[in-house]
Amino acid sequence: MGGAPAPREPGPGGRVPPLHPSPWLSSPTLLLLAAGLVVPLALIFLDSFRLRGVYGGFTPIPDLWEHLASGAFLGNYRRATQGIYLLIFWRSLWIAALTTALCLLAAYPVAYWLAVMVRPSRRPLGLLLVVVPFWTSFVVRTFAWVWILRTEGLVNNVLLATGLADQPLHLLYNPFSVLLGLVYGELPFMILPIYAALERLDRSLLEASADLGAGPLTTFWRVTLPLTVPGVAAGVILVFVPSVGQFLISDMLGGARTMLAGNLIQNQFFGGRNQPFGFAVSFLLTALVLLILWAYTRLVKRGRLEDLL
Amino acid sequence: MTPSGEGVLPRTRTGVRPAVRATRATFAAYSVAIYAFLYAPIAVLVLFSFNAATQTAVWSGFTLRWYRELAADEAVWRAAWVSLEVAVATTVTATALGTAAAIGLRRTPPLVRRIATPLLVLPIVLPEIVMAVALLRVFGASGITLDFWTIWFAHVVFCVSYVVIVVQARLAGMDDALEEAAADLGATRWVAFWKVTLPQLWPAVLSSALLVLTLSIDDYVVTSFVAGVGNTTLPLQIYAMFRKHITPEINAICTLLLVATTAMILLAAVLQRTVRQPRLPRKGGPR
Amino acid sequence: MKPVPVPLVIVALAAVGCGEKAPEAPPAPKELNVYIWTNYHSPAAIARFEKEHGVRVVIDTYDNNEVIEQKLQSGTAPYDIVVPSDYMVVSLARQGLLTALDEARLPGLSNLDPLLDWGKTNSGPRHSVPYLWGTTGFAYRTDKIAEPVDSWAPLFDPRFQGRVVMLDDMREDFAVALKSSGQSLNTTDEALLRAAQKRLIDQRPLVLAYDSSDFAGKIQAGDGWVVHGYSGELARVARESGGTIRYVLPKEGATFAVDNLAIPTAARHVDLAYAFIAFMLQPDVAADTTNVTGYPTANAAARPLVLPSLAGDPAVFPTAEALGRCELMQDLGETTALLDTLWTEIKAR
Repeated sequence: MGGAPAPREPGPGGRVPPLHPSPWLSSPTLLLLAAGLVVPLALIFLDSFRLRGVYGGFTPIPDLWEHLASGAFLGNYRRATQGIYLLIFWRSLWIAALTTALCLLAAYPVAYWLAVMVRPSRRPLGLLLVVVPFWTSFVVRTFAWVWILRTEGLVNNVLLATGLADQPLHLLYNPFSVLLGLVYGELPFMILPIYAALERLDRSLLEASADLGAGPLTTFWRVTLPLTVPGVAAGVILVFVPSVGQFLISDMLGGARTMLAGNLIQNQFFGGRNQPFGFAVSFLLTALVLLILWAYTRLVKRGRLEDLL
Repeated sequence: MTPSGEGVLPRTRTGVRPAVRATRATFAAYSVAIYAFLYAPIAVLVLFSFNAATQTAVWSGFTLRWYRELAADEAVWRAAWVSLEVAVATTVTATALGTAAAIGLRRTPPLVRRIATPLLVLPIVLPEIVMAVALLRVFGASGITLDFWTIWFAHVVFCVSYVVIVVQARLAGMDDALEEAAADLGATRWVAFWKVTLPQLWPAVLSSALLVLTLSIDDYVVTSFVAGVGNTTLPLQIYAMFRKHITPEINAICTLLLVATTAMILLAAVLQRTVRQPRLPRKGGPR
Repeated sequence: MKPVPVPLVIVALAAVGCGEKAPEAPPAPKELNVYIWTNYHSPAAIARFEKEHGVRVVIDTYDNNEVIEQKLQSGTAPYDIVVPSDYMVVSLARQGLLTALDEARLPGLSNLDPLLDWGKTNSGPRHSVPYLWGTTGFAYRTDKIAEPVDSWAPLFDPRFQGRVVMLDDMREDFAVALKSSGQSLNTTDEALLRAAQKRLIDQRPLVLAYDSSDFAGKIQAGDGWVVHGYSGELARVARESGGTIRYVLPKEGATFAVDNLAIPTAARHVDLAYAFIAFMLQPDVAADTTNVTGYPTANAAARPLVLPSLAGDPAVFPTAEALGRCELMQDLGETTALLDTLWTEIKAR
């Protein structure tokens, strides 16, 4: 499949009908993305070199040439790479990486169970059940963990009532609760792609492996896992990226004690009133994310992001 | 492949080995635990929508008060309606555009694919908040008033890639032979698409549509930046209520959302079953 | 059997739904677009206005001042009425985003409490009309702290490690640090600000969470024992707690804020906006708004009509003397950049 089609004979109508759908079908989408993303991004990229206005807008640059020649135009980027901001980036990336790893570990067995062990007729239900929680408000279902974990929350009430603890446990507003909230919010995005990859797996390969004497673990490690790498990679991307830029979960479940990249950016557009700096931070963050993803796909066997699609 | 399609677990004459059964049971137990984890907050959410106390997680009696308040809360219903409109419009547009794109990209010159792929991947690898500020900036710079259409535009932009990816994945596994056969029989591209490609693609189209619907209805960050006058969506409304004064009315909203969407899915499932897809000829010749 | 064109059905439904929102000519003159804080109005009063004037009032909400500025700056959202806090009014007016109000069209202005009509003291045209106001003090649990409390001290007391809750707000938190050290919360002196920053950094181990939305819930649920927050919310939980929770307006002083009705220059229904403000200035409407929201009205003529439980609550209506120790927040202009850096340093540890 793929490659130049063989020349074909005319059909009953006497013409040779074109075989393939027109490539122009993709142009509306691509144009939309160009207009909706590339252009805005280019605009804010230019804006990231500007000067902030006192009221949060922009200050006109008095002398453009001077601004460029003296390197002043890099002011926002220079600031964004200072110690305190690098620390913020590092923390955000680290939390996102941890979340991704935990999600992967937690999700794979579930996806495996659904794709391999559950009856095919029941699988759609299983998938649906994974997705249904998303049909409530993200804000509220995250906040529900506060009800569960707080001092007078569900868990502590139960523990105290049953006598399993005599002091309420401090389960909230710490890194544990933030990770919990993040993993909770992203888990379905890891389950679904891995499920899709597993479901498409050719079972005969697994049977062959078993026939050749490999135990279940060996089969998994040397056959299943490598074959599902595209699904895993897709899941990793779908979990890692949102986790890097998030701020709601760390605020609600972490008590907003730590400023992360998402908070930093958001601040610039509200209280901080420094849009150009906000744009610079956004670009740096995006660049870091892309760098990491590129490095990750290099590690992954096929080595190219496009092959994941 | 085993006839039942049940997977890879080896069978012996005496049925599935006990060790294998234990493995299966372990996996099942673990998965159920994960499901419980996914639903714990939901259960709490629903439970406390009936709680008489204003706020705390202590049960103080059953009441329907919050549902009554919700019924009278016009702002919420208006927001729900806006959300629904946006979500439906987004789903239709994104699914149509995305499916078309996936098909169109199937056989494109490498140069086009070189441009198309990063473009398509961009919404996914771009942090939402960056996308949100960029869109607001461009709307402001071009003097576009924020309204329903700006939300719709923003939503389609960040959703369409998901459709392309899901449909492309399905397309990759599809056999060209059927379309070739259709073409050989004189079908135009459109007919071939409608009668051969689409039915095979249907699960992917449907699941990506569902995905888009979910993403659109629950979106907070992007929408908060690009919503205009009178276009508060439900997540915005809920978040605003949450920021101001948390009452179980919010729980009531979420419970109703859950019920409504579950009902919708059940309806879709029923519709699906009554809608028959054209049967493709079985392998081995005509029936 | 031909497949039912389910996609077409969906498209049809969408078309029907979208038809309502097709881009259109300027809205009919029978609509008023109001942008206001969440839960900050009386639905009954709005309904009355709608009936009296035969119009529809569309209400969008927000939860922080800067959003108003953003929306008005970007020129993308034509609201007729916005409700910014005092310092935001100044900022918006300076940027030419608010219309100067014609006082002749607002006879009810004389109903306002002069202490709260802050805009009148400034020279130049009036750009806003006070609506509701409040203070930012703190609440504490009397079952955890036996001794009487009247200052900011508990928020810095190591005894309450992990039990203090602060607002997640740069200006408000700096205000606490500054006022408790006897400084003005509007100072632009860098040395003083850095000292305040140090105070807040040292306070970090005591802070359970920074939260601008669920602070009232935290003290109610017992997570926090000393909770920094807005008077409206904290007074409400104090009343509901029957004495377990008490609101304090510290003797060193605190911030107080007046939220005001204003008409953006981009408004499309200016006459209706004036009518709305005039309506809100009526004593019975102002009293109703307070009774429903729990926030004190800036309308002196309305005081007698406010519910006794609210009127007599010092947390809601503090004495003039207590109010005299409070300061309005002012825009810090260029110093905002420094403050933002300091705040980031506090939060990023």
